[in-house]
Amino acid sequence: MTGAITTRALALLFWVTAAVIYLPIGVMAVFSFSTARYQILPIPAYTTEWYGRVFTDGQYSAGFFNSVLLAGSVSLAATLIGFACAYSLVNARFPGKTAFTMLVLAPLAVPLLLVGIALRIWTTMLGLQPSLPLAGVGQVLYVLPLAVLNLRNRIAQLPKSHEEAAWALGASRLRAIIDVILPACRASLIATFILCFTFAFDEFVIAYFLTNFSVTLPIKIWTTLVTGFDPTINALGTMVFAFSLILGVTAQWLLLRKDR
Amino acid sequence: MPRAPVANLWQGILPALVLMAGFFLLPILYTLGLSLTSEGAPGLTLANYQNFMAEATLTDALLRSLILALSVVAIATLIAWPLAWYLAFCVSARRRVLLLFVLVAPFWTSFTIRAFSWQMVLADSGIVGTVMRWVAGPDASLGFLYSLPASIFGLTLFGIMLITLMIYSSMVTIDRRLIEANAVLGGTGWTAFREVVLPLALPGWIIGAALTFIVAVGDYAVPTLLGGGLQPVLAQVMLSVLKGTYDLPMAATLASVLVIVILLCVAPLLLLVRGTRLQS
Repeated sequence: MTGAITTRALALLFWVTAAVIYLPIGVMAVFSFSTARYQILPIPAYTTEWYGRVFTDGQYSAGFFNSVLLAGSVSLAATLIGFACAYSLVNARFPGKTAFTMLVLAPLAVPLLLVGIALRIWTTMLGLQPSLPLAGVGQVLYVLPLAVLNLRNRIAQLPKSHEEAAWALGASRLRAIIDVILPACRASLIATFILCFTFAFDEFVIAYFLTNFSVTLPIKIWTTLVTGFDPTINALGTMVFAFSLILGVTAQWLLLRKDR
Repeated sequence: MPRAPVANLWQGILPALVLMAGFFLLPILYTLGLSLTSEGAPGLTLANYQNFMAEATLTDALLRSLILALSVVAIATLIAWPLAWYLAFCVSARRRVLLLFVLVAPFWTSFTIRAFSWQMVLADSGIVGTVMRWVAGPDASLGFLYSLPASIFGLTLFGIMLITLMIYSSMVTIDRRLIEANAVLGGTGWTAFREVVLPLALPGWIIGAALTFIVAVGDYAVPTLLGGGLQPVLAQVMLSVLKGTYDLPMAATLASVLVIVILLCVAPLLLLVRGTRLQS
């Protein structure tokens, strides 16, 4: 129904858009191997010095360590809370279910900046000091909608008969969840964990507002960018991009594989 | 069929409920409430909002945020419709997965890093500027970085991805027989789009446009790194209040203005979704 010429034009539009989206990342990757401190063309010589510096500069490695720890805890918490929530949403009836679902999904429709500011004002009122764990709580509610949506879809797809067979054999609800539902959701759970990790690892605004002195990798990158340029950022940005890409691909692949 | 063991299933939502109520709903409501208070004045007052409206730098920032978000949605929409059509109707199912992946993958990494990489490309000394000097002579200057259009550009790429994805998800669910029926009745590709695809895929566009608007109006990284600090948007002003003067009622007021803007701009769109659902 679409003419050959139109199809060609549409394909061209697609690839031009893709090229524009990828252009700066490619440029960043190329410059990350340049010996020059600034982005000058042609590139004088190639080096891996900046990559080495990412690992030897204590602030970057401290930021990386904090980020992995924070994103790991956040994703674990979001996956567990999300699973419990998703199972109840699929199987239980309770008053206010629609309102509750909207509340859980609401962070998708609210700017992160707003979540960050509101949390900062709220925790100041409660007398809580800004800290990494506090930033973690904020990040859990930011990635929770992803976890709930993923796991709800998966649990809703499961054949009811497996769980019913467990009940017939005398298993309690909880026993059946642990022995039947959890194993059947294994790939989705791993995918959800990885997906939440990807987003929490890169999350900047909430962490920036809710910590004072602890530095995560995105905060370190940000402060480096606004206070002056450091070519190490090219190498770091390229690595973070590759890292996010690998995590994202793995998560999507696990989700598409449908637990088999 | 075996009967389900008795269990209070709703307990599964408790952790999520506590988290969302205690660290999302209450903080936002408290922030909205705080914007209605003022130091030295007892009770509720609109003083913060009056101060906001009287301060030209603040209303200018709000205006810039609106121009930014609306331009991003408008431009991204124009590019997203043909892209979604291409993905939904012009490529095989196998290839479609690959192309969707190509489109979405760069956005898994942070806004900060993507905005920074654009800084390098768009700077006067960057790739685009260098090419321009080759073409137009050594005096040619790009002058694009650190301007509102540069922010619009940076966020539009995100908008294209999101709106395309949302329109596409609506398009693939359309029953192909409807389009064939249109062709049998003498319709062309254009009438198929206007009469069949557009109305059925509109809810997808609305959700994509609403989410893009929300991200664009509230984003901080792109306006700072690409737009610069001389003509700040609302988000930048908000951050400088919070990290600088630390005037919490003022910060709360700016946040509330953002909420009001989002509600005013997104609510009509969502009503439109309801309208199209009722029609079909």
